[in-house]
Amino acid sequence: MNALLPLWSFVVRTSVKWPILQTLAPFVPVVALWWAVAAWGPFPPAFFPSPADVVAKFVSLMEKGILPEYLGDSVARLAIGAAVGIGLGVPLGLWIGLNKSAHRALWPVLLFFQAIGDIAWLPILIIWFGFGLTTMTFVIVYTVLFPVILNTVLGVRSVRIELHRAAQSLGASPARIVGEVVVPGALPNIMTGLRNGLGYGWRALIAAEMIVGTSGIGFLMFDARRAGSVTEIVLGMIVLGILWYIVDAWILAPIEQATGRRWGLVTQ
Amino acid sequence: MKSLSLKNLAKTYFDAYKGEHVTAIRDVSLEVPAGEFVSIVGPSGCGKSTILNMVAGFIPHSGGEILVGGTPVKGPGPDRGVVFQSFALFPWKTVLDNVGFGPKMRGVPKAERDAIAREYLALAGLSHAADRYPNELSGGMQQRVGVVRALANEPDVLLMDEPFASVDAQTRMTLQDELSRIWEERRPTVVFITHDVPEAVFLANRVVVLSKGKVLAEVEVPISRPRVWDRLVADDEFKDLSNQVLALVRSA
Ligand SMILES: Nc1ncnc2c1ncn2[C@@H]1O[C@H](COP(=O)(O)OP(=O)(O)OP(=O)(O)O)[C@@H](O)[C@H]1O
Ligand SMILES: [Mg+2]
Repeated sequence: MNALLPLWSFVVRTSVKWPILQTLAPFVPVVALWWAVAAWGPFPPAFFPSPADVVAKFVSLMEKGILPEYLGDSVARLAIGAAVGIGLGVPLGLWIGLNKSAHRALWPVLLFFQAIGDIAWLPILIIWFGFGLTTMTFVIVYTVLFPVILNTVLGVRSVRIELHRAAQSLGASPARIVGEVVVPGALPNIMTGLRNGLGYGWRALIAAEMIVGTSGIGFLMFDARRAGSVTEIVLGMIVLGILWYIVDAWILAPIEQATGRRWGLVTQ
Repeated sequence: MKSLSLKNLAKTYFDAYKGEHVTAIRDVSLEVPAGEFVSIVGPSGCGKSTILNMVAGFIPHSGGEILVGGTPVKGPGPDRGVVFQSFALFPWKTVLDNVGFGPKMRGVPKAERDAIAREYLALAGLSHAADRYPNELSGGMQQRVGVVRALANEPDVLLMDEPFASVDAQTRMTLQDELSRIWEERRPTVVFITHDVPEAVFLANRVVVLSKGKVLAEVEVPISRPRVWDRLVADDEFKDLSNQVLALVRSA
């Protein structure tokens, strides 16, 4: 036991120096277990590939350029969905949140359409637009849009009335109040909406790619099933996980950090 | 600075829960000459906040008139600065930008409004906090910013609704000392709402006692200035006036 102590302190020291190791460390036992089960061999390798198989597959798909291309397609679709979702969702949310009659009229409609989640649209979309980009774009924009709208509305309505009043009695016009008070006040909720929207959108996109796609990570996985390549499917799953981690850690978290935390609007 | 005049002011709320009309202000007339500090005291529910919210233009009045420098009030405006009990600072703006908000809305360029904000922050001994965010300040400091933000916009009338009610007793006395000093320096027209009688007397030229939506009495406070707690705690005139107002409030 004592012999392990220096090892442990080495692990702690290096992981503090290299934060990436801190992120990867929890996966070590997972991969080890996976490797052990694969090596132990109750399942045939074609059925349960080892980590080494997946890495080899990764290298070969990278070399062939298939993985970069599909990854690019999926990420581009997510980016478009996010951009359109924010571009439409935030202004709509602000309007519905600020306008009492708009809220009364549209809130039930929003809840209704929010409930018809993403994939439930696929059958009718395939009839309308066929198997292709339009259908996929619709699904992802749809999925991103509703959480963004709904959370923006909640955010707008959560801005305390005193802040509106303070701004008014300091001479702010209604338009300035939107920019100076409502948007920053709603920002933590808008970020939540975006986080949820992108999370749902990402999953909806993969599902849509499986069903209607001709490229993308979802397509890669579903196509691999046809070829019976479990290795490729597992690789696709890992790519999905890593990609989401990157979106979260490199894009969403820093924005939240830079805004809500410092203002005290988000608890640590 | 301008005068404030309330003429037969009345307010009836519709209580949606009970489904009936509630009269909060029956008939209030009050003259606040330019440069005067008036405190309004009265028991909870007597209508103090209602008056202030109507003067600020946050809620409409049901009858009578509100005139600022002779002009009727229609909605909120920068001629009436407001200090809130809950501070109401913008959490996403630094102290400097909070204080510079009014000038910004008037279109004052960045460099100039920063200079204005710094000048007013210095007035309240807050220069060191300029670049901090409100949630990084104590309650007492936040309310100093609240007061300074209203002052920096140079309103004709300053309206304050129990601004010091949510800070501890020690800090409250310091804030009262400071507000008194600032008022003596700048002489703004102030309407100050509180249910702390000594506070009302300490600060004001005149204390208005409100009862059930009507003015019960007005008490002049001729105590000399500058007023500081160090002097007034033991001052007989101050004690007599406080007791007089307290008796009125308790009879209200
Ligand atoms: N929005 C409202 N709807 C209905 N009744 C209201 C509303 N606001 C205030 N009232 C009623 O009007 C009366 C006066 O309220 P107001 O808030 O002005 O009292 P106050 O003197 O400020 O009390 P406090 O010292 O507790 O702050 C109270 O009876 C209150 O219940
Ligand atoms: Mg009140």
